[in-house]
Amino acid sequence: MNAKDPQVIDTLAEFMTHAIALENESVERYEELADSMEVHNNPEVAKLFRKLAHFGELHAREIKSHADGMTLPQILPWDFKWSTPEGPESGPMQEVHYMMNRRQAIEYALHNEEAGRDFYAAVAENSPRAEVREMAAEFAAEENEHVDILKSWLLNLVDPESVRPEDLDPPNIPE
Amino acid sequence: MSTDTPLKPKFYKTEVKPVWCPGCGHFAVLSAVTKALAYLALPRKDVAMVSGIGCSSRLPAYVSVYGFHGVHGRALAVASGLKAARPELTVLVAGGDGDGFSIGGNHFLHACRRNMDMTYIVMDNEVYGMTKGQASPTTAPDWAESKLTPHGPGVPSFNPAAIALASGASFIARGFTGDPNGLAKLLVAAIEHPGFSFVQGLSPCTTYRPEQKEWKNIVRPFELEPTADPVEAAHRIQADDGMSTGLLYQSRIPVWQPENLVSTQVDQLERGFQV
Ligand SMILES: Cc1ncc(C[n+]2csc(CCOP(=O)(O)OP(=O)(O)O)c2C)c(N)n1
Repeated sequence: MNAKDPQVIDTLAEFMTHAIALENESVERYEELADSMEVHNNPEVAKLFRKLAHFGELHAREIKSHADGMTLPQILPWDFKWSTPEGPESGPMQEVHYMMNRRQAIEYALHNEEAGRDFYAAVAENSPRAEVREMAAEFAAEENEHVDILKSWLLNLVDPESVRPEDLDPPNIPE
Repeated sequence: MSTDTPLKPKFYKTEVKPVWCPGCGHFAVLSAVTKALAYLALPRKDVAMVSGIGCSSRLPAYVSVYGFHGVHGRALAVASGLKAARPELTVLVAGGDGDGFSIGGNHFLHACRRNMDMTYIVMDNEVYGMTKGQASPTTAPDWAESKLTPHGPGVPSFNPAAIALASGASFIARGFTGDPNGLAKLLVAAIEHPGFSFVQGLSPCTTYRPEQKEWKNIVRPFELEPTADPVEAAHRIQADDGMSTGLLYQSRIPVWQPENLVSTQVDQLERGFQV
């Protein structure tokens, strides 16, 4: 497993490889979730995850533009310096459910954005290099904006479905 | 921007959308398999994935290599035939605990002792997921959540790693889908291992075993380095609660690969069997 405690990232190229992987993997996760919600007939939540994937894509593009002209190192999946099992914005797979509602999905995304922000904030604090600290602080601030946006989505959400709807085809076979 | 990363895991994914429930551990096995293949940079035409039946056995549909979605419990038999005929292929076998340890249990024993060069990934969720949640050989005796086993299976679950060791497997590992990167690393070692490599992937079933969400708080890495001594391995496996992950045992024993003789016509074969 990737280490539990934050590890030191000391070059800008290494940092950018982490940032790009973090964003790309998060986009892939949202796409995967959107696909599976579609397969399981939860179109509302599928749409939401698709939207999050789209925003992630835009953000990934922006992050990549910061790395223009750099030669980035190849880091193997198990050698990333995350303190989460996967990239911090790839939320734990087991926390989703085919009958989750939009509020739960936004809360899930909020958790991811907070984890991303915390990762960048830790690098901004721990890296020995000023240029890495600076870039990480900038990214942490951006993630904080995303956190605020999601919080406002939650506030504005008109959700009749605060409890899970009844499952007409429940998993356990009735007696 | 440039990186020297040659292949992305996505290269090994098909366009088919998995049928798995959102939250299913099997997604992480798909991720780990594709990460391992990307790391090894195996040409897609040189890899074949064979499976049985079950949610887990859907895996070949989602991995962009040759695939064969076989018969329930017979993945290892099909894969052995394939490896015998096409030794140059990297053969991966996938399935669930029901597929591999119930109906396919006997094939599992003999695949272990035969030690053909292939990798067997069992996505163990301690339940038959596809058929709506019946107990499997790895289900605890007191699991009473299914109405099909109202008082629980009542018989002890068995320990796949112990059985693999007793049957002569030369590579035994356990991974967890809550740690897909760790699982990918184990799969790389398994695929590189010459001989039969068995990887038990603890893969929670979010629908029929929601309590398995707790596994993330229970699973931990094996504290010791892998051993090549079967006696020591047996001791470790039996002393463990089945929730420690990592490479448990690896030994070098002869790999069995039948020699492919010049091809034979069917009528020649038939003559050989005439009484
Ligand atoms: C010969 C035969 N017997 C029984 C079945 C019904 N069946 C389909 S999948 C399955 C069990 C699958 O469980 P497991 O291998 O643990 O995979 P999971 O779905 O949990 O991933 C069974 C019994 C079948 N398809 N074929």
